[in-house]
Amino acid sequence: MTEVPCQRIMVVDDDVFILEVMKELFEPEGIEVVAVESGDACIAELENGFRGVVLMDVMMPRKDGWETIKEMLDLDLMEGNVVAMLTAKDVPDGELEQIKEHVIDYITKPFEADEIVTVVKGYLDYLA
Amino acid sequence: MENAAPPNRTIVVIGSSTGGPRTLETIFSRFPLIDAAIVIVQHMPLYINSSLCRHLAKTSGMEVRIGEDSEPVEHGTIYVAPSDVHLKLVGNRTIRLFNDEKVQYVRPSIDVTMTSLERNSGDRFVGVILSGMGSDGAQGIRHIKTIGGTTLAQTLRTCAIHAMPRAAFETGRVDHMLPPEGIREQIIRIAGTL
Repeated sequence: MTEVPCQRIMVVDDDVFILEVMKELFEPEGIEVVAVESGDACIAELENGFRGVVLMDVMMPRKDGWETIKEMLDLDLMEGNVVAMLTAKDVPDGELEQIKEHVIDYITKPFEADEIVTVVKGYLDYLA
Repeated sequence: MENAAPPNRTIVVIGSSTGGPRTLETIFSRFPLIDAAIVIVQHMPLYINSSLCRHLAKTSGMEVRIGEDSEPVEHGTIYVAPSDVHLKLVGNRTIRLFNDEKVQYVRPSIDVTMTSLERNSGDRFVGVILSGMGSDGAQGIRHIKTIGGTTLAQTLRTCAIHAMPRAAFETGRVDHMLPPEGIREQIIRIAGTL
């Protein structure tokens, strides 16, 4: 039987412009985009069963990307997801050191549209 | 009866972390069958171990599989270190997986695998450090250079995160800083094709 690749991504970013851009990039490729503006909303989606590629901003108010990933681990919501950071910070802070096994990539904004689509499609295939 | 000397081995250990999988895919894209055993230590969750193998096997001429305990390493094969255990090579020939404390927050540790290699008269070694956070692999690169191996690290500008290659470079024991395509060519040149 042919494996059906996962076709869902979640973008977690408090910048609604980024959320819109990601929808415009991925939805024409047949990839469903769940767009959320906070770490709490990300956790809620995961608790409701989302599994796919998670593109996580680092700097968000209240709960940043690192705290959100630690909560995913604490709540056992990591399995079945591939997590990549999507950030304007070109040098990551030390928070990543302790959770690096769980973060497959660190993509810096601004990004090349073609490149990010190719990279994320590759990670979706990891979940096939 | 005369005992035959064990055949020499070329052993390549590649250490990789965040941002490394896409570099690995570039290195092993259209990669030929080479006269070396390659061990990849990638920091990653257990549930994508087999996916990484599958991706690398798609375009590489090498056999790719998850390393198993007590398995002898063979030329022409890439062994991906499984998550949640450390991997060392016993006598440069046999994979040993073992549970121990995380080293620099990770298990498997690149340093643990690289420092398990032993100098002998016949074997050749290559150590490679790719994108990642922290300094795992720096001690390993120092060791591989000490036992006569060749050491490579990914150029900083081509890394998603350049901390690991930078830490390796700062040991003063890296022979070449190369982009992914250059790392591929160097490994092929050193090992030779089968």
